[in-house]
Amino acid sequence: MAIDINKVLLLGGGPTSIGHENELDAAAFERLIALRKTGAQIIYVDDNPFSVTSEEIQPANVYVQQVNFKNVVNIIEKEQPDAIMATTGGLNAMQIAWQLSESGVLSANNVTLLGIKPADLRKVIDNQKLRDLLTEISEKVIASKIVADDSEAMDFVREVGFPVIVKPISASHDTSRFICNNTDELEDALDVSFKRTYIKRCSIEQSIVGYKEIEMVGVRDTNGNKMLITGLEDMDPIGIHSGDSIIFAPTQTLINEEYQALRTATFRIMDALNVTGTCHVQFAQSRTDSNYFVTKVSPFFTRNTLLAAKATGYPLTYVSSFLELGYTFTEIKLPTKYSKYLPFMEPTMDHVLVRIPLWPFRDINDVDQHLNTLMKSVGSTIGIGRTVEEAIIKSMHSSQFSPRDILPSVSKVDDDDVINQLIHPLASRILILMEALRRGFSVDELSELTRIDRFYFYKLNQLLRAQDYVINNPMSPHSVQVGHKYGFGDGMLAELWNVNISEITRMNRNTKQPVTYKEIEPSAGEFIEATNIFYSSYELENESQPFSGKTALVIGRGGNQLGPNSAADYYTTQILTSLKKAGYKTIIMNTNPNAVSLTPQLSDKQYIEPIQLGNILNIINVDQPDVVFLPGNRHYLSKQLKQFTGLNVVVLPPDQKVAVYKEQEATAAVDLFIQDDEIIPVTTLSFFNHNNRLDLHHINDYQEPMSHWETDEQPLIKQAISSVDPTEWQGLVQVLFDQSGSEYTCTGIRPVRITETAFLTKTTGVNWINVLVRKYLGLLDMESLREQLRPAEHKRYSIMTAKFPFKELQSNRQEGTTKQEVGASLSFKNFE
Amino acid sequence: MTQRYLILEDGSAYPGKAFGSLATTTGELVANSTMNGYQEIISNQIYHNQIIVFTQSSIGNTGLDQNAYESILPSAKGVIVREYENLATDHFKRISLDRYLKQHKIPGIYDVDTREIRHRLQKYGNMKASIVDVADDHAFDQLHATVLTNQQVAQVATPKPYPNPDEGDNVVVVDFGLKSGILRELSRRNCNVTVVPWNASSEMILDLDPDGIVLSTGPGAPSNLPQSVLKMIEEVQSQAPLFAIGLGHELFALANDASVYQLRVEHHGANHPIREIITNEIFYSGQEQGYAVDPKSIDHAKLFITHIDLVNGTVQGLRHRDFPAFSVQFSPDGAPGPKDSVGLFDDFTEIMERRRVDNGNRY
Repeated sequence: MAIDINKVLLLGGGPTSIGHENELDAAAFERLIALRKTGAQIIYVDDNPFSVTSEEIQPANVYVQQVNFKNVVNIIEKEQPDAIMATTGGLNAMQIAWQLSESGVLSANNVTLLGIKPADLRKVIDNQKLRDLLTEISEKVIASKIVADDSEAMDFVREVGFPVIVKPISASHDTSRFICNNTDELEDALDVSFKRTYIKRCSIEQSIVGYKEIEMVGVRDTNGNKMLITGLEDMDPIGIHSGDSIIFAPTQTLINEEYQALRTATFRIMDALNVTGTCHVQFAQSRTDSNYFVTKVSPFFTRNTLLAAKATGYPLTYVSSFLELGYTFTEIKLPTKYSKYLPFMEPTMDHVLVRIPLWPFRDINDVDQHLNTLMKSVGSTIGIGRTVEEAIIKSMHSSQFSPRDILPSVSKVDDDDVINQLIHPLASRILILMEALRRGFSVDELSELTRIDRFYFYKLNQLLRAQDYVINNPMSPHSVQVGHKYGFGDGMLAELWNVNISEITRMNRNTKQPVTYKEIEPSAGEFIEATNIFYSSYELENESQPFSGKTALVIGRGGNQLGPNSAADYYTTQILTSLKKAGYKTIIMNTNPNAVSLTPQLSDKQYIEPIQLGNILNIINVDQPDVVFLPGNRHYLSKQLKQFTGLNVVVLPPDQKVAVYKEQEATAAVDLFIQDDEIIPVTTLSFFNHNNRLDLHHINDYQEPMSHWETDEQPLIKQAISSVDPTEWQGLVQVLFDQSGSEYTCTGIRPVRITETAFLTKTTGVNWINVLVRKYLGLLDMESLREQLRPAEHKRYSIMTAKFPFKELQSNRQEGTTKQEVGASLSFKNFE
Repeated sequence: MTQRYLILEDGSAYPGKAFGSLATTTGELVANSTMNGYQEIISNQIYHNQIIVFTQSSIGNTGLDQNAYESILPSAKGVIVREYENLATDHFKRISLDRYLKQHKIPGIYDVDTREIRHRLQKYGNMKASIVDVADDHAFDQLHATVLTNQQVAQVATPKPYPNPDEGDNVVVVDFGLKSGILRELSRRNCNVTVVPWNASSEMILDLDPDGIVLSTGPGAPSNLPQSVLKMIEEVQSQAPLFAIGLGHELFALANDASVYQLRVEHHGANHPIREIITNEIFYSGQEQGYAVDPKSIDHAKLFITHIDLVNGTVQGLRHRDFPAFSVQFSPDGAPGPKDSVGLFDDFTEIMERRRVDNGNRY
């Protein structure tokens, strides 16, 4: 029975951080589209300035506030919603939901919690209750105990056996964890640990380091029907955080019996928790027998829930939204492009997805870069192929920092270091594995040292062999064919052979197997589903057809790194929306599984392909777009694309290289919009740094309008207008000022950066990305823009505060540069 | 790597790379979209006379496991896949997929566009295919001329009865091309099993004093089997609890006057929702079927439908009105496939239990 709701409060995911990129915003966005079908009014709370979801909701229904208990209570009391949805707001939102129910706020205001019942939610939030529940349904959890002396510890070990992990509780150093394989090691570990603990207690638990980490994503309806979306397999063993692991979908090294046992366990857990909607369960699977442990249960949207959906093409967020509302699988109506059976057909895949994490160590290099149980990656990229090798190579293409189309190499590392890194992995993990194979380590040795399944080494070995073949046989048609089969794009072949890519494209013209695009859909070819999500392979059948009419290709930003990336994704989505409104069929290519810009509803076609020249040219060749948009600051790629004169390439925002700085400091700025010779003032800003460092790289806070705007704004705008020359500057331009006393000196002029464009869009009521897109398409309606920008009547200060990942990375840094930003929050302050 | 061809009845030819045996074979081409359990699939006797196209893109990744054979002498006619990995995981690191297929004279081809083949089958329906060295006119002539045997069950089922002793219920399994998954589930329930040949008489079966009877899975069309089999079923179903699976289910339907038709496209996968009518519950199970019971032909005085496939509407389960006899089209043993419906074996043992108690009360 569907629950009848008129008004629902949706909890947002908050600013992006380590462990949480744009995926929650992407899920909330899809959920929004689904909920609209019910006609319910949707209230949204989130303070992420780069949220696409809050852009889609009427401003009156969006609360730009930190997602915390106090704020949510206030919103509930004011708005009196019928229901609350927390599952797309991450663990934070689930905890708030639990607090709301515990404190009686839900019942006092008659609000239904959707997705999971409060009583069941409690079992998820409270770790001991979850252990009890799992034990009750005969699912195994890792045994652990708090001990006060050696003999208690020994008793525990006699029960569970070695190895165990010992950890001091409330310790002086918080990183110490000791793996003990025998009594001697245990005694030593207890000795050290008891010295370090202030309260004379240690925790001791069964060690499952080295087990395989397998993740299952299931869905369940209110009638108790259950379906598995897919299983995911972490290449790295337990001991490395799943967020830092290379992940494969579907699972690669489980036999049917093991896989089915985990599937059944997932279903039993969903039943025990009465989940309606999705549930992500993580397991530790033994390598030697069928034994497994449940390590984590998340009955809400997680990074990997959404990865599972992306891998299969199953419209999980859409379906799950209706399941949470109490619909059953058979009652859900999907958009017409899908077959009607799809909601309840269990996804089956005929391709392989590989996810490789991206770490921030290039921008923050003074932290421990070893991979362990603490997540350190800030983003990831995916590669999809018909073969495991293809998917690995594609994801590696996309995961490197260099914009050049090469595979990075670690051949300079010495042998000792290779061995050391095999045992204590660093971010360059996969490169070290390949290097070790190249140096003649045997598969069995490597598997022993790394606890990575032999299967993966076989695959990496094949890749190395293919690469050697390609390198040793330059410019031969067969070599091109081999390269293509193994996922080496044309750009990579060109780099390997040191020739221009056009020479490879010329060879391709005579090949029997040109590039083909395969659809990612959940029936493995049984039904014709028009998901319009594609990846490339070199086979017989091409499924991607060009659109008739005007078409635009938008080149996504790829995996998240530090810096303006989540803002760039927001920027990309707004370009897509503008192009659609301007009558274009839109095509996006991207490799970031967490990008909102890959949401199916935002474009007409999606390519999950490496953002490299060769792959871009192939897509252009198939789709013949009228215009190509390149958002973000990508000098190398824009230079490469511009050598092809037939392409109409728009780079947005315009290249930051044109910026002119007289000094590297600024405290205030005037943003202007320039169209031909008309200059329109947009607004003014004040810049802050918590430690009063005023150089541009250290600005953490942006305030709109500027302080003292009542007196200083108008003169400053005049000063700004007089300092720009419209023949040199077009579009959104920022004039920077430094203040001393009451004097403002102009210190530079630059195009408005991506993050600030997003900020302006949220604060000025004008979608500046839309304005820019229309400007470059020659469709800008200046009259209405002037109308919208009538002399600004400021009502309050809007403040965007940058967030840095120092704490999560255990760095001692206090302040960061713009390149180290991981996200931002938005808040408002009334005038005094 | 040798280049070989998969050629299809409709004239299409797919060059690919050979693995396994280099034999030339002909069979019906079927696509299987199950994501796990290539070993169980290849060794399942229902693939006698068939060439299996795997839609999962990669097989061989986990080697072969002694506990996962569905038969010891597989009879599939070929394996087609996008890529395979030749990994051995057994104690002696001996048995890889390539070696296994060579041993059993099953040819394989990899590096072909299996997704395109899947689309083709879906569009044009079932067709014959051959795995050959050269895709010339002669090969196509041979393909068209080949008549596949209709004596499939006789070729794969055991010719002699054999016991699989345990201490629980006496179960007689009639072997039409039995998959081991059924025996494994009966063993897990301590059943004392006797496997008898497909053409065992009702006397032979009943003389074994069964607490229950299982009609097994098997290859081919149910109409290929003689009337005597239907007669046997008719005679035993009133005497002891009966559980029929796959081909056994189709025969059970025929024995009770229903009719069976051939599907335009065989369905092999685990992705279709199956609804249990009485509870309205949806679950998933391995399905490997080329035939289905015609629901319109069912005599409702004898049988009623217990399960249907929500995608193609096919009958997935039947129950007899008067006798403790029931059947399913799908494979509840989950070898391979989900174990969602493995409880049907518990239902079966419960029925046997109840009947024993009832009988005990009677005497």
